Amino acid sequence: MKILVADDSRAMRMIVVRTLRQAGLSGHVILEAEDGQQALDLVGAESPDVILSDWNMPNMNGIEFLKALRAAGSTIPFCFVTSEGSEEMRDQAAEAGALGVIAKPFTPEHFLEVLGTVVSA
Amino acid sequence: MSVIDEFEEARDDLEALLLEVLGSLLGADEVAPSAGEPIGPGPVLESRLVIHDRADDSYTVVEVETALLVGRVIAARLMRVADPSPEDLLDVVSELGNIIAGNVKSLIRHSCRLSLPTANVVQSTSGAGEHGVRVSASVLGQVIQLTVRPALPQEPVSGVSWPGSYDDVLETQS
Repeated sequence: MKILVADDSRAMRMIVVRTLRQAGLSGHVILEAEDGQQALDLVGAESPDVILSDWNMPNMNGIEFLKALRAAGSTIPFCFVTSEGSEEMRDQAAEAGALGVIAKPFTPEHFLEVLGTVVSA
Repeated sequence: MSVIDEFEEARDDLEALLLEVLGSLLGADEVAPSAGEPIGPGPVLESRLVIHDRADDSYTVVEVETALLVGRVIAARLMRVADPSPEDLLDVVSELGNIIAGNVKSLIRHSCRLSLPTANVVQSTSGAGEHGVRVSASVLGQVIQLTVRPALPQEPVSGVSWPGSYDDVLETQS
C-alpha cells in the first residue's frame, strides 16, 4: 500500500510517519510532498492508495488539493492532518469528500480511529 | 468587546492549550505550568503567525518563543536526531507555532484565516507581550511563552505568507 503524506514541515511528515507506525499501521511505502501542488503531481505519477494531508500549505493548500482530486474523478481516501480542527473546517472537509480530520497534536489512537478502515495493519 | 478583551477572557484556555500541545508532543511528564518566569538569557527562537479576521480586517499575531537551547532539545526529540540542523530547528519551531496557533484560532475565532508560520532566531524576546495576552509553560525546566496580541499599527503583516490561494479567497469574499 502507498501512503502519500503532504505537509510543508519535514518534522511533521516524520511525526506522521512515526505515528502511523505507533498505531500499528506500518510496512507501507511512504511518499512525501511539501505542498498540495507537489502532492497532486505525485498522485498522477505514483497512484497512492491513501492520502494524509495538511490543510495550511503554500502554493496549493489541502482543501484545494482535495477539490482538485475529486474534480478529476479520484476517489482515493483522503484525510486531513491539521492544526485546525474547528467544526467549520470539518464540515468543509466532509463536504469536499474527506474521510476525516485528525487535529494536531494527535495520538496513535486518533490515527487508528480514523484510518483503521482504509490502512491495513 | 475588543480583540484583546476576548483573548484576556480566554487566558485560562490559552494556558491549558499550551500545556496540552507541548505535553502531547514531548510527553506530559516533561511539561508543567509556569509562574511566568522570563525566558532564560541568550538567543531566542521565535515562531510567528497571523490570524486575519475578514469581518473587520483586523490582524492578530500569535508568537511562540523559547530559548534557542530549549528549541534544540525539542527539535532533537521530535526529529529523533542528536544534532538538529539549523533548518530542522526552524522547521520544528515553525510547526510548533503552527500547531499552537491553529488551536488558538479554533479556540477563539472560527471565521478567520491563519497564515503560514515564520521562524527566526533573535537576540531577545519581542517585548510585544505587553500589548496582548502572554501565557507560559515550563518544558524541561525552561520557559516557553505564547503571546496572542493585536498586530501593532506599524507592524508589517503585508509580508506574511498565506496558505494556498488565499488572495483569491479574499477577492471573492470582498
